[in-house]
Amino acid sequence: MSKDRLTTVLESWEAVIGLEIHTELTSLNTKMFCGCPVQFGGESNTRVCPVCLGMPGALPVPNESAVEATILAGLALDCRISRWSQFHRKNYFYPDMPKDYQISQYDLPFCVGGGVNVEIDGDGCAQRLDRAAVGADPDGTYTTRIGITRIHLEEDTGKMVHVGGSEGRIAGATHSLVDFNRAGTALMELVSEPEIRTPEEARRFAQKVRLVFLTLGVSDCNMEEGSMRVDANVSLRRRGDIEFGVKAEVKNMNSFKALHDALAYEILRQGDVLDAGGTIDQETRHWDAGKKRTSSLRSKEYAHDYRYFPEPDMVPFTFDDEYIDRLRARLPELPDARGSRYMAEYGLPKHDAAVLSGDLELGDYFEQVVEGVGVPLARAAANLVLGDFSAYLNAAGSTPTDADVGPRKLARLIQLVDDGTISGKQAKEVFAEMVATGEKPRQIIDRLGMRQVSDSGAIEEVVDRVLASNAAQVAEYRAGKHGLLGFFVGAVMREMGGQANPAVVNEILHARLDA
Amino acid sequence: MTHDLSTLTAGRIRDGIAAGDFTATDMAESALARIAALEGDVHAFNEVTAGLALDAAARVDDLAAAGEPLPPLAGVPVAFKDNMNLRGTNTSCSSLILESYSSVYDCTAVRRMLDAGAVPVGKCNMDEFAFGSSTENSAFGPTHNPWDLDRVPGGSSGGSAAAVSAGMAVLALGSDTGGSIRQPGALTGTVAMKPTYGRVSRYGVVAFASSLDQIGPFSKTVEECALTLNVICGKDPMDATSVDMPMQDLAATMRDGVEGLRVGVVRDLMALEGCDPRVRACTMDAVEVLAGLGAEVGEVDLPSCMYGMPAYYIIGPAEASSNLARFDGIRYGHRAEGAEDVMDLYLRSRAEGFGPESIRRIMLGTYALSAGYYDAYYGQAQKVRTLIIRDFEKAFCDYDVLVTPTSPTVAFKIGEKSSDPVSMYLSDVYTIPVNLAGIPAVSVPCGLVDGLPVGLHLMGRHFDEATLMRTAYSYEKAAALDMRPPLASALGV
Repeated sequence: MSKDRLTTVLESWEAVIGLEIHTELTSLNTKMFCGCPVQFGGESNTRVCPVCLGMPGALPVPNESAVEATILAGLALDCRISRWSQFHRKNYFYPDMPKDYQISQYDLPFCVGGGVNVEIDGDGCAQRLDRAAVGADPDGTYTTRIGITRIHLEEDTGKMVHVGGSEGRIAGATHSLVDFNRAGTALMELVSEPEIRTPEEARRFAQKVRLVFLTLGVSDCNMEEGSMRVDANVSLRRRGDIEFGVKAEVKNMNSFKALHDALAYEILRQGDVLDAGGTIDQETRHWDAGKKRTSSLRSKEYAHDYRYFPEPDMVPFTFDDEYIDRLRARLPELPDARGSRYMAEYGLPKHDAAVLSGDLELGDYFEQVVEGVGVPLARAAANLVLGDFSAYLNAAGSTPTDADVGPRKLARLIQLVDDGTISGKQAKEVFAEMVATGEKPRQIIDRLGMRQVSDSGAIEEVVDRVLASNAAQVAEYRAGKHGLLGFFVGAVMREMGGQANPAVVNEILHARLDA
Repeated sequence: MTHDLSTLTAGRIRDGIAAGDFTATDMAESALARIAALEGDVHAFNEVTAGLALDAAARVDDLAAAGEPLPPLAGVPVAFKDNMNLRGTNTSCSSLILESYSSVYDCTAVRRMLDAGAVPVGKCNMDEFAFGSSTENSAFGPTHNPWDLDRVPGGSSGGSAAAVSAGMAVLALGSDTGGSIRQPGALTGTVAMKPTYGRVSRYGVVAFASSLDQIGPFSKTVEECALTLNVICGKDPMDATSVDMPMQDLAATMRDGVEGLRVGVVRDLMALEGCDPRVRACTMDAVEVLAGLGAEVGEVDLPSCMYGMPAYYIIGPAEASSNLARFDGIRYGHRAEGAEDVMDLYLRSRAEGFGPESIRRIMLGTYALSAGYYDAYYGQAQKVRTLIIRDFEKAFCDYDVLVTPTSPTVAFKIGEKSSDPVSMYLSDVYTIPVNLAGIPAVSVPCGLVDGLPVGLHLMGRHFDEATLMRTAYSYEKAAALDMRPPLASALGV
């Protein structure tokens, strides 16, 4: 229902969406400006020191690896790397911020410009009503480039725990506690251009950014634990208008689905307000995944003047070509390049290449299988990984890395089909057994006596028997009813318990019948 | 057995302990005895650390008894400005907001002093958060100048200066943001040094203005100043603005003399109206001494330095307004009772905890950084700063050392300027440009006016502390002044 309503609203209103993606650099051993360990959870206020607690006289010292990770992210997302950059102080008071200023970046971020291509397929295409204008295929699939404004580095805040109210919210709380374990963790902020037009594009963009960061290995990008947090700015304008409408900022989406649903909700809400002749308040709204709606944050809002000024506790950064080239050389193969390689080198269809390169672990798994079977069998590997293997992962709720069936076993299975030991049909059965028992394919085949018979002598014998006992059908075939070939193949296979090599059966049948 | 610390130097103390003439414990007890005798009049200390002093002295005595080599400051009684963290002490910054704040770690410069064998006797009074030039802006009452107890010792490191001047400590550390070491050095007749920005780690000194602050020593002699500087300088991994730049053995190179050294008297600054002519004359006499020692003396103008004062009173408060934000009553320090919500807690805690000058500077700085004013104030001040740096660069093409008085006047009466902040701010007119440019400077006693000390202000190139020490030492040796205040020499302990 809501999808239909969304389409209706989007017929008269165009959504303008920009994302801010905060990513904790969880791959780092230490925080942004001190030597405290970076780890999720832990007993409150144990991963702290004078620096990240903002004790009097303590000073920040930048973490070189965090700067490198941010520049790698910039290079991977096609950004320009600033030759001269520095940190600024963002001044405001809040109890979760030990120094009452956040060390962040202002007008000189490490990375500027850039963008990613986002492919939209499936149901989500329908949200983009002008998809034909952006070059959509007949099936609706289209690719759109979302620009990136900047990527900068800052320090994370601590966490407030409100006690005595409901659900840990501040409303009704009797007092609040602060946990500074997270304070000072390196946080990379990516700001997109307001070039996203649908909730689906927003989801795909965020997923693509996450995939790139995972590929770089800079963060575990765990949205539930908050190591990746996506905030969205969304406004509506009448189709054809150039001016942006008044935007709302939506927070607290801790999954990609939540991001999509929150934006869809917000578009409907704003559309209703505007259709009724109302106006949108510029405000921050909170997504409630349970109630499936956004609500205005009731906390008292002060007009913020952050009084940015250059952080005097650190000297500015200068990055020369040599430094940037050295980092560029460290870039791993990125998802788009991986997908292209799968098409060019392995001959995979576009969709298969996209799915495999769109999931870091699945892609890695697939490549390990290919390593086992060789490039000529890469398509067979892709079919098995995307077919039975993916179905098993879904059913088991597992990931490629944790899967009970490792890539070497899967490769062996493919080889056993290729060398004719078993048929493709038998392979499905063997795979199910592999999952169930953890045995190697060869063991299963032996146990089940599941050899494929390719010996033409044995097959000829059965073929002759089948033809002899079906004389009427043989006559019909010879009279031109060639569709009966399948009937004979089936009969032979049944006779041989499914173990005959179908290619050999076909060949012998042709030899006998067409003679 | 107690000794007269107003006559003993750091080098003599270390050698005396090594030779068995006296013990480090004797020295600690001497310092504590002098503090007991004088502190009631002078009020140099916020906290006297007798326990820490005797423990540290005992460790030195153990070393000496074992025949181990003694570190350079072994057994030397030292005092620290109360904005430097030292575990086992409070670090109050002379503010109610941190009155009960107990240090949880050690300031790097303090640690280096203690590792060099120094014996910590106490934490010194100061203007609250180093905002001031008289030590009157202390929440715990003013410090009195040992030369005349009705007068200020200068500030903001007035307690450190008075402690050394009165012989309650042999050495002290202060911090200098716009003259807070050198001006009280001048007003108390002590040698007082602000090193090049980046020479000494700022880790552990409670920040006033991060781009200007620098720790430095007070001592009775130039040699002790050089010795102390060698101990506290050097790159610190905890301070990203500290610099890895080798330092010569200053106590050795200072003996090389000033033959051929080019000394530039800063003509336009010397001519400032607010400068006492007798102070000016005293300074010129000192320059004559240097000329007599073979220095080539000339004159130079630093026209942009006239704008140093307004630029400083933008940049300093701007950075301070941000640095002092953390004193919010949430994690440590003063927390107001009965707050209704978190904003109310901030407002009340800070209003109750900060004194009037701190509030003035926080407001000035907050205003200067506000949207719409940033370019006109902070941005403009940074441009002035660049011009001042260029002035100095130009002057240092022709001269090795530049000279002005350290302070335009001798010590003034307590209360004399406290109702007029701008006239108080003028006390630092000669010292401020040095902080804005980041160069090193030292104040050396160069005589008395009305029985009160005058300081000679020597300024050098970035990281050229060696030339400053050489100039100061040559002058000190030739002038051979007795700069012990009557109160200190009369004590006889």
